[in-house]
Amino acid sequence: METVFISELKPFLDSFAGEMDLYVPKKTGQHFVFNRYDPAAETGMDFNNIRVCMPVKEFLFPLRDLAAVFPEPVEPEEIKPFAVFGLKECDLRSIDILDKVFAEAEFEDAFYIARRQKMFIVSSDCFEPGESCFCNVIEGKAYPDHGFDLNVARVTDGFVIEIGSRKGREFVGKHSELFTKPSDEVLAERDRIRAETLEQLERNNADMKFDMPIRDIMNKTYDSDVYDEEAKTCVECQACTRVCPTCHCFYLYDTKQKDYFAKMKMWDSCMRMAYAQVAGGANPRKVLGDRLKHRLMHKFVYFLDRYGLQMCIGCGRCVDAEAGEVDIRAVLKKLNEELKNTKVTK
Amino acid sequence: MKPNLYQPINSEITDITDESPTIKSYVVVPAEPFKFQTGQFVELTLPGEGEAPFTPSSSPADTEKMEISIMKAGRMTALLHDCKAGQKVGIRGPYGNGYPIEDFLGKEVYIVGGGVGLAPIRSLFLTLVDRIKDFKSVVCRYGARTPEDFIYKKALFGPWQKINGVDIKLTVDNADGQWKGNVGVVTTILEPDDVNIKNAVAVVCGPPIMMKFATLKLLEFGFAAKDIYLSMEKNMSCGFGKCGHCMIGKYYVCKDGPVFTYEQIKEYPKIWD
Repeated sequence: METVFISELKPFLDSFAGEMDLYVPKKTGQHFVFNRYDPAAETGMDFNNIRVCMPVKEFLFPLRDLAAVFPEPVEPEEIKPFAVFGLKECDLRSIDILDKVFAEAEFEDAFYIARRQKMFIVSSDCFEPGESCFCNVIEGKAYPDHGFDLNVARVTDGFVIEIGSRKGREFVGKHSELFTKPSDEVLAERDRIRAETLEQLERNNADMKFDMPIRDIMNKTYDSDVYDEEAKTCVECQACTRVCPTCHCFYLYDTKQKDYFAKMKMWDSCMRMAYAQVAGGANPRKVLGDRLKHRLMHKFVYFLDRYGLQMCIGCGRCVDAEAGEVDIRAVLKKLNEELKNTKVTK
Repeated sequence: MKPNLYQPINSEITDITDESPTIKSYVVVPAEPFKFQTGQFVELTLPGEGEAPFTPSSSPADTEKMEISIMKAGRMTALLHDCKAGQKVGIRGPYGNGYPIEDFLGKEVYIVGGGVGLAPIRSLFLTLVDRIKDFKSVVCRYGARTPEDFIYKKALFGPWQKINGVDIKLTVDNADGQWKGNVGVVTTILEPDDVNIKNAVAVVCGPPIMMKFATLKLLEFGFAAKDIYLSMEKNMSCGFGKCGHCMIGKYYVCKDGPVFTYEQIKEYPKIWD
């Protein structure tokens, strides 16, 4: 892939101003979130080593969104081009997953597609993986190789920028004065950091070795008690689905405005008790452990069966956000263990 | 922008009929012709209040209007029961797969229904009798709680019974003084020789508990799981496999159903809950 080099970030970030809104990572307390970039501010952004805690779905499929206005439909507000800096490889895979759902040929979600088309993606390499990062276990890695317009890799003396799309190339062409050719040394340094980060990920997750694909483990341990056991500390805060970049359940509701009616779309959570309940009260997942099981089966089995992708990216956000102690990694490990033990006894 | 999936078609309720103490039928006229296949469902919006899924009970041949029978079961249906003719509503859809009529050709269609489950079945029934010669026969077994709880009473007790090629038997859980027919749940009027199982399909629609026991009985008679068609009721909200509420295992009831063969879903737990 074609690469260019910059020694400072600020001129690069400033060059977005005037063309589109740019969202950059900013540290608030322990966490990184995305903020709108202000070229005039002294500290424009904080470089994020790993994914920020906000899932990328917030840009494509906001928490609360207008779905329809009636009886007189209105043209939705036009989405202006915008850029997001600092998405990671896991985030890009979460977009692949959301695309499967919202850009599905027969039922394209116009709102999602409009935002998706207007989004300019500046991803960046990871380093120093977080305690909860386990992307390498779920076919991920510490840097992206597709799905971005530009990708930024930090090295000692600057930043190596990879061009990943036509939009990215146009941007670089338009601002060619900012970029130089990267030296072989900086490219070598980037590759060394990438390899080191990957090794670090593998070391951190050395205990997540599975005897077969997760899908098969989960299918074979469907009746396991592990879900009920693990769900014991769940306080139903729904933070796991809220921060999960691939969870995409939503709730439709209607509101009365002064001159019109509006149908709204809001994120929902399959961990919520009444989520699957129908009028009259029937509910196939009254039990918390069943809801946890459904959530994980959806991620590792159902979605994979339907769309050919696992619906977990290994970002670990759910592990960090949990108010209880439910840990998706622990569930998977215990299921694998259980399968191993059953085999031995049989 | 691409067409908006969430935009309802402006429609109006033009007529409301009391069917039973808990069920009313609504004539809904959409502002534009509306095509659907029997067994598909629509999302009916009561503006400003909410939306709920219903399978039209009328024949798909009529694209100018549709009929929907609604049992008072929750918040939305209670609000709908308070509506008067002239009420503006919205319709989205049609969604789902509907009944695979072409697979029923030349066969005996064994319909087992209960309560408001007769609504989707009425649409199927009207579609079948429209071309009754294409099917070996249509055999209906339908149960209601009490004689008063039957819906479409006029057609059910009269004209439908007289159609050539149609065999209808009714039952009630609890009889009153007037009732001369069978008393007992619908499975008590299912007989192994009602149809020739080798050349028949079964269609089951009703309350979950009735569907469960009817399915078990049909299996006991020797029906193959793939020949039992079930209209599943789950919390269908978006209608096109995105919002997630109606999942049974890997299936979205709204998109892959609502009609499933028992074969498709038998492995999943709690399908009747």
